[in-house]
Amino acid sequence: MTNKPNSAQPFGRRRFLQTTAAGVGGMALGSLFVPLVARAQTPELTMWWWGEQELPGLQAYVDESVAAYTAATVKPMLQDTAVVISQFQTAAAAGTPPDIQYLWNGIYHMESVWFGYLKPLNGLLSEDTLRASNPTVLSNFGGNTYRAGWYPLPMVWYYNKDLFDKAGLDADAPPKTWAELLDACDKLKTAGIEPLGGGMQDGYWAEWWMSHSFVQTLDTAGEAVELFIGDKDFNDPRYHEHWVRLEELRTLGFLNKDMPSLELYPGIDLVVAGKLGMGQSIGSRLPADSKATNGRIGSMVMPVFGKGKLAGKPIVDTQGLGIAEGSANPEAAAAFLEYLNTPERLEAFHKATGWLPSSSRFDADLIEDASVKAMWKAWGQSPNITNVTNLMPGQFYEQAAIPTGQQVVQGTLTGEQAGELAARVAQEWRDFNPDLVEKYQQWVVDLSK
Amino acid sequence: MTLSRKLTPYLYLAPMLALLAFVFGFSILRVFEFSFKMVRGIDGPWIGLRNYRLVLSQPLFWESVRHNLLLLLAIPAMVAIALLLSLLLYDRLRGWKIYRTILFFPYILAIPIIAVVMKQMFQFSGPVNEVLRWLSLDFMALDWIGSTDVALWTVMMLIIWRESALGVILFLSRLLSLDESVVEAARLDGANWWQRAWYVLIPQMRGVIEFYVVISVITMLSAVFAYIYMMGGGRGGPGTSTMVTELYIYNALTRSSLPGIASAVSVMLFVVSLALIYLLFVVRRRAGGEGA
Repeated sequence: MTNKPNSAQPFGRRRFLQTTAAGVGGMALGSLFVPLVARAQTPELTMWWWGEQELPGLQAYVDESVAAYTAATVKPMLQDTAVVISQFQTAAAAGTPPDIQYLWNGIYHMESVWFGYLKPLNGLLSEDTLRASNPTVLSNFGGNTYRAGWYPLPMVWYYNKDLFDKAGLDADAPPKTWAELLDACDKLKTAGIEPLGGGMQDGYWAEWWMSHSFVQTLDTAGEAVELFIGDKDFNDPRYHEHWVRLEELRTLGFLNKDMPSLELYPGIDLVVAGKLGMGQSIGSRLPADSKATNGRIGSMVMPVFGKGKLAGKPIVDTQGLGIAEGSANPEAAAAFLEYLNTPERLEAFHKATGWLPSSSRFDADLIEDASVKAMWKAWGQSPNITNVTNLMPGQFYEQAAIPTGQQVVQGTLTGEQAGELAARVAQEWRDFNPDLVEKYQQWVVDLSK
Repeated sequence: MTLSRKLTPYLYLAPMLALLAFVFGFSILRVFEFSFKMVRGIDGPWIGLRNYRLVLSQPLFWESVRHNLLLLLAIPAMVAIALLLSLLLYDRLRGWKIYRTILFFPYILAIPIIAVVMKQMFQFSGPVNEVLRWLSLDFMALDWIGSTDVALWTVMMLIIWRESALGVILFLSRLLSLDESVVEAARLDGANWWQRAWYVLIPQMRGVIEFYVVISVITMLSAVFAYIYMMGGGRGGPGTSTMVTELYIYNALTRSSLPGIASAVSVMLFVVSLALIYLLFVVRRRAGGEGA
């Protein structure tokens, strides 16, 4: 009798366990193998981004977009505010940058362009998508564009309609000229209302003042750069007139008394709370502020005093995204940016953040709040200009733009002295950065178009 | 003493020295190297002493140094306050242990927390000025953090308040370790509180007072960043009225993209701090000799 050891023997417990283990193992390996094969065909992208800090809901939007995207596996990483630039530049220098990088406007990303860390987007992204995203002229260098717009930051002046009513002013017709502004301030003051201001202890108000007023003296953004590289001079009355106007407001007693000791946002809150007539703000606050006041916050362009060609135009700054020069798959990265600019993703952006995406493809009818809709019509859908303070070298920003505004408001510096200080700091910047002066000189060509 | 016995303590120290060299050594060498380079990104060309020349010719740098030196004026006040409070606590007033905890409390709290609270308190329309106005002391209701003339003194007040707490604990520890019979003898001889403090207690605290002064000098010159950053709107403001060398370094590095300049100032600050630390060791050795 021959044994038939295999099939004829009873199926014992050990045998059962061995078979089961082999089966489960095989299934597990099989299930691993299939996605690995699939993943090998799907590009992997890394995206370093920022913005949740200023736009709550952006994280949810990014996560949702990444999860729904099938053409590539995108790994997003939210960056800390303090390291947005340095982290990218260090990684790029080490040859390990993310494929997609969040980029602030102007000099905040242009240095990376000059170091060779960013890829031009024209040619990678469709011309139509790029233009629709409003990357602004500050993203251009050497005829190339290095950022796509992601979300806009309209720079507005708030005014409180209830306080305008109380002072006998027309709440539907805010002042447009400097003379009208002084008249409005005078009437507000007479009515016992602090007319204008905000908070500038942290310095940002001084920067915004330059965004709104310095630009009024310029014909092109390139003209601002000429002041830094020494082709023009802040001692010229035309280029420090904005500080002289600030001095005038202080001298006339139109600025709120606690302005030097308040920070930017508590200062804006004063307008919203009905304690201050007018003040500088940012468009992304409007949905919440309008809701809080039942639409009694109006937005206006800063009244005009300057004679430059950029005077009186609404200002829109844009946060953006770019592609690293060291990206292993720039085409896949560009495809993901195209995906973020599809109408469906633009609508998803609005739903997740309550704010607007930077794209002319976005359907403005989706905006429900009348104040926000009016603001977007005037700022986003009309001819606008960019924020020229983004052109300032960091050294000038810290040592001239901020301190001058603070000291003029306090009365420890006149507008003219502010011009002298700015001229001196611009000279120091040139001494400290001879290599960057050359780059700025090249940049003027793009900025003056 | 044999060679091996001489080497023994150094062998015990060796692992820690190796660890410190590993963590800080390379960084410090790079800072020295960067101070002679025009660094862009992570490296740059050698430019000799140019960074030092640029820094030393800039008014803002000297203004920063001047502010650090002005902050040294806080030290006599800190010593006086800490001495007075520790002597009062040493008298073991009813509930002195609770007072001791309360007095040390500011030192436990993180600087950003107390600075944020202080900023609220010292706003032009804040509680401090409201109280002053209520008391008809309007002339004293200053723009504490918004005025370039006053802001540095306001920061100094905060520093005095918080750093004195460390002095109280140091001084009280020393007092509690003194031989009480000497104080008792003075008391029996008819010495009043002031005489006991001035002629008996304070002379025996000389070592710890010197120690406290030296670490306070180091603090004022190279460890006030958190106070200034929080109180000065993150910028040493208003204007540049609270700018100090640490913030100058921070700004040069992170806001002006000038690592070479930041390194040059860091090297200068490092050398000054090293000299002060050497002084600290001298003081401590002397204090040790006195049994402090």
